[in-house]
Amino acid sequence: MDYGKLVESVAIQKWSVLFDKLIDLILTSKNDDKMPSQLANTLLSHWQKDVLNTQTGLTVLLEAAVLLEPEKTVAALTELQLTNVAEQLKEALVKT
Amino acid sequence: MVKFGIEFVPREPYWKIMYYALQAERGGFSNLWITDHFNNRNVYVTLATAAIYTNRITFGPGVTNPYMVNPVFTAQAIATLNELAPGRVVLGMGAGDKTTLDTVGVEMEKPLTAIQESIDIIRKMINGESVAYQGEVFKAAGAKFLFKPKGKIPVYVGAQGPKMLALAGKIGDGVLINACHPKDVEYAVNCVKEGVSASGKRLDEIDVAAYTSFSVHEDLKKANKAAVRVVASIAAGSPPQILERHGIDVKKAEEIKEAIKANDWTRAFSGVTPEMISAFSVCGTPDLCIERIAELLKSGISQFVVGSPIGPNVREAINLVSEKIIPHFET
Repeated sequence: MDYGKLVESVAIQKWSVLFDKLIDLILTSKNDDKMPSQLANTLLSHWQKDVLNTQTGLTVLLEAAVLLEPEKTVAALTELQLTNVAEQLKEALVKT
Repeated sequence: MVKFGIEFVPREPYWKIMYYALQAERGGFSNLWITDHFNNRNVYVTLATAAIYTNRITFGPGVTNPYMVNPVFTAQAIATLNELAPGRVVLGMGAGDKTTLDTVGVEMEKPLTAIQESIDIIRKMINGESVAYQGEVFKAAGAKFLFKPKGKIPVYVGAQGPKMLALAGKIGDGVLINACHPKDVEYAVNCVKEGVSASGKRLDEIDVAAYTSFSVHEDLKKANKAAVRVVASIAAGSPPQILERHGIDVKKAEEIKEAIKANDWTRAFSGVTPEMISAFSVCGTPDLCIERIAELLKSGISQFVVGSPIGPNVREAINLVSEKIIPHFET
């Protein structure tokens, strides 16, 4: 799945709320074991540089959120009225 | 001005703790404490990760004990950490908790002596000395690092009982007081003062920290609910004199203990009373927490440690402390 492309279609005004939703999903997830260490390190490196709330950072967060909480991620995107992104994600998840 | 510390338990994976640690550092916390229990992830691996990801926060084990890890290895670990993050490393030493030590068949032999001797050995090792030591609990015959340790590493003593508190005041560069209620903290600080006076120091020469169970949320009920699981364990493990000091029914604490033994956590949590929450946690809305911290400061503490559970949502709770609580004490 091209997470970068999905994030690209999100309006910049929604980045902040999307960041909050995704990081909360990741940090409160009980599925820690599904987080690949390489992705976790990338997430932390972006957080260290304080660039998680950018297109690159949100791409990492979306990938992590989908790995840990796929259904909740779709629900969160729908709640944020990112319907198009939610639909694309849903379709991709059905195929996998 | 009071410093704020934060405690994390490495039952959580490193990436969650590092996220929160960086958040705390940016939010004005000055100390990061990582607990040390064999059944969680390793404290020093977690601290090494903190050394890499954070930039200025002071950090250390909060606390490790000399029974599970020989003092020479503790000295080695913190000396190595101090190479990764020079000047940012501290060591928290305590006697450990009996239940955990019992699980691995390790006896908590002469805790006061063990703490005193282990700190003595650790300081000598960090100082680059060859340690020949004939203590009652620990012995060394010319133990010396094959590398040159750099810098001074402050040693904090984790303490709860009067004798350990006095010893902490006497030998520690800091004290981690395991208490949340002003009455308990005041009592503890007075014990620390005895040790401080005995060694010819002043209280303000050491860092006196209240290491608390903390839970903050804008919704009081949510803050309380998060605190309950930690408070249940503390109430169950508290001696009758502590319970009575806070007007807590000893029988109720016994019932919680029984429920925990039976692994019936629902029953254990439902047995927690508001008196127990008040006695064994700093909990509530940001305003209520500010009120409680201000009371604790009157006892003479110089660091307030935000310990588990921190809040129902840790990220939000760190933000609340950073945005509403810490600024209050900076003015």
